[in-house]
Amino acid sequence: MYFINACSTISHQHSFQNEEWIMHLKSLNNNSTLVSPEYKNFIDGGSLRRMSEILRMGLACSKDCITQSGINNPDAIIVGTGLGCLTDTEKFLKNAITIKGLIPPTSFIQSTHNTIAGQISLTLKNYNYNMTHTQNSVSFEHALIDAMLSLNESKSNVLVGAADEKIDFMEELARELHFSEIENKLTSGASFFILSNSQNSTTKAKLVDSCAIGLNAAPNEEVVANFLKNNHLLLSDVDLVLFSTYGTQKTEEVNKLFHPIPILSIEDYSGYHFTTAAFGMHLATEILNQKDNFLISNTTPIKKILVYNNLGNKSIGLTLLQSIEA
Amino acid sequence: MKINITGIGIISAIGLNVQENFQSLQTKTSGIKNNTNFSEKRNLLLGQVTLSNKELIHLLNVNTPISRTSLLGLVAAKEAWGNNQIHQSIRTGIISSTSVGGMDRSEEYYKNKIEGNDADISLIVTHDNGNTTEKIATSLGISGYVNTLSTACSSAANAIMLGARLIQQNKLDRVLVGGVDSLTNFTIEGFKSLMIYDDEWVKPFDQNRKGLNLGEGAGFLLLENEKSIEQTNNKPLAELTGWSNASDAYHQTASSPDGKGATKAIRDALNMAKLNPEEVSYVNAHGTGTPNNDLSESVALKNIFKTKIPPFSSTKAYTGHTLAASGAIEAVFSVLALQYNVIFPNLNFTTPITETQLEPEIEYVTNKQVNIVLSNSFGFGGNNSTLIFKKL
Repeated sequence: MYFINACSTISHQHSFQNEEWIMHLKSLNNNSTLVSPEYKNFIDGGSLRRMSEILRMGLACSKDCITQSGINNPDAIIVGTGLGCLTDTEKFLKNAITIKGLIPPTSFIQSTHNTIAGQISLTLKNYNYNMTHTQNSVSFEHALIDAMLSLNESKSNVLVGAADEKIDFMEELARELHFSEIENKLTSGASFFILSNSQNSTTKAKLVDSCAIGLNAAPNEEVVANFLKNNHLLLSDVDLVLFSTYGTQKTEEVNKLFHPIPILSIEDYSGYHFTTAAFGMHLATEILNQKDNFLISNTTPIKKILVYNNLGNKSIGLTLLQSIEA
Repeated sequence: MKINITGIGIISAIGLNVQENFQSLQTKTSGIKNNTNFSEKRNLLLGQVTLSNKELIHLLNVNTPISRTSLLGLVAAKEAWGNNQIHQSIRTGIISSTSVGGMDRSEEYYKNKIEGNDADISLIVTHDNGNTTEKIATSLGISGYVNTLSTACSSAANAIMLGARLIQQNKLDRVLVGGVDSLTNFTIEGFKSLMIYDDEWVKPFDQNRKGLNLGEGAGFLLLENEKSIEQTNNKPLAELTGWSNASDAYHQTASSPDGKGATKAIRDALNMAKLNPEEVSYVNAHGTGTPNNDLSESVALKNIFKTKIPPFSSTKAYTGHTLAASGAIEAVFSVLALQYNVIFPNLNFTTPITETQLEPEIEYVTNKQVNIVLSNSFGFGGNNSTLIFKKL
C-alpha cells in the first residue's frame, strides 16, 4: 500500500491550488481553455520566458506538491509523458529545415522528453533517481509502477507525475487521420503527486496498485479481473470506475464491462491527451477524500475507485485507489 | 536475486551483429565516415549503419510505415532474443529506450510539407517513442510489460536498470532491455547548434577534443532470473550486479565541473554491487569527446578511484555517439570484455587533459583478467547512470 500525500493538477478545470475544484467540475466544450496559474510565482522570470507550456505545468505542479507535502527533497523524480516537449520539438524541427546557418539551441535543449524531470531536479537541486517514461497512452502508469518499485526499495517519498502538451498541428493530424470526435477536444494537462510509504496528516488517499499492459490480446474483462484478483479483490468491491477511452462505441463497452458499477469519463473533464490517467488519479483521490460526493448519485460511500485507461487501442492501464478509512 | 544476461545484440556503424562489432573493436576499425545519406551535409563525419531503410525492411520483412529507429531496434532485439520462445510460465517484458523515436519519418513529412511537396501524414504515426517499442515487441510476440524510457544519452542504461529492478522485485522473470536511435537531421543540427559537433574524427579524453560525432544503432540484452533459465536452458554470459541513476542538478545540458552526479552514480552502483573501487577491471566510459563531458567524467573517475584509476576507454570513436542506444551498445561491449578477457582501445588519443592527466587505454588488451566492468552513461538533464557487470 502506498500513500498519496500531495496532488497537483493543471487542466481545463480550476484544479490548481484549489481544494474544492471537483465541486466545480464542468464537462469540456469546444471553447474551454487551459486554466494556467501565475507561473512567475513558481518559476523565475529568466527561465520562464524560454519555457514551453509542458515545462511550466510540470514545474508548477511539482513545486505545489513540494509545498503541500513539506517534502523538499523527494527520493526520486519520475515523469510520464506520451509525446514529450512538442512545442520545442516542432520549433527546432522547423528551424532545422528552414534556417541555413546557425540555429539557436534552446529549443533543441528543451526538446528531449526528459527535460521536464531534468528541470524539476535542477530547480529542486535534487541529486536522486530521475526517470522519464514515454509509452504513449500508458506513460503515466509506467511512471507510477516505477514509483512503487522505488518505494519498495525502501525509498520514502517519490515525486511522480505526468504531463503532455497540445500543439496546433495535432488538430490537423486528428482531422486527417479521421479522429474527428476529438479534433476539438485535444488538451494540455499535468498532474503530479507525492507518493510515500507512510501515512501522515497530509495523506489524501491510498494507492493499492497500478499496472500497464501493452499489446494486450486477452479480453479486457479478464485483464481487469486478474488485476483485482492479484490484489485479493473482486469487481464488486469497486465502488466507482473512472475511465479513459476514445469513441462512443468504446464507452458502451466500458458500461457493459463494469455494469452495475457507476462509471465516469475522465476525458469529459480533462479533454484528450496521452496521460489523462494522471488527471483521473487526482480526480479519484479527491472523490475518495470528500465526505459527500457531487459527481454521481450513489448512496453507498465510495471507498475504492478503479481508473481504467483504455485510451490506446492495444494498451490497458489500471490503477486502484482506496480511501484512507478503508 | 541474480540478474543473468543470456542474450546480446547490436547493430552499429561497426557491424550488423555482435560478431562484426567485436571484430571491428579488435582491429581498431572505426565506422565513422563522411556522410552519405544527408544530402546537404557532405563533409560531416557520422557513424552510419551501412544498410538503407529499404534493405532493412527487406531483411526484416516488416510492414510500413516504420521508422528507421524501429528497424535498427528490431535487428539488435532479434539478435539478443535469438531462438527464445514465449512461454505462459515465464513472465516476459520489453523495455526499450530512444531519444528521437520516429523523428526520421517526422522530419521527412515536415520537410515535404514546408517545401510544398506531397507530404504523407501517415509517417507521423511512427513519431512517438512508444510506437518504436511496440513495433519491436509485436515482431517478437512480446506483450504485457511493454515500456519505453527516454532520458537522452543515458536512456538505454536506464532501460537495463529498470529491467533488472523488475526481475529483482519478482515482477518479471525475463526482460529484453536496450535502446535505439537513428541518425536524424534534427539531432545533427541540434548538436551543431550547441557547438559540440567535431568536424574532425572524435577524440575522447584528449586535451584537443572538440566535440562528438553522431552515430546510430541499437543494442539489446536479454535478462533472466534463475527460474526463467531453468526453463529456457540459456547459458548466462555475464551478470549485472550493480546499477545506479543520479541527477547532476547542475545544468540542462552541461555536466558539473566537480562531476557530482557522475560520482554519485558510480559510488552508489559500486556500493550496490558490494565492490571496492580497486576491484573494477575496466571502465567503459561515456567519453563523448565533448570538452565538458570528458573533463567532468575524468573528475568523477578521480573522485572514486583516486590515484588507482583502472584501465578505461571510450568506444565512441568507433561507433559515434549513438545517443539513447549508447548505454546498451556499450553494455554489450562490457559483456564481451568479460567473456573474452579483453579491453577495447580508446581511438584517437594522444594528449591527456591538462587538468586531470588521465590516460585511457589505447591498445587492444588481451593479457589481463577482466572480472568486473563498470559502464557509464550520462545524458542531458543531468541524467547519470552507471552499470556494473560481473564475470560468471
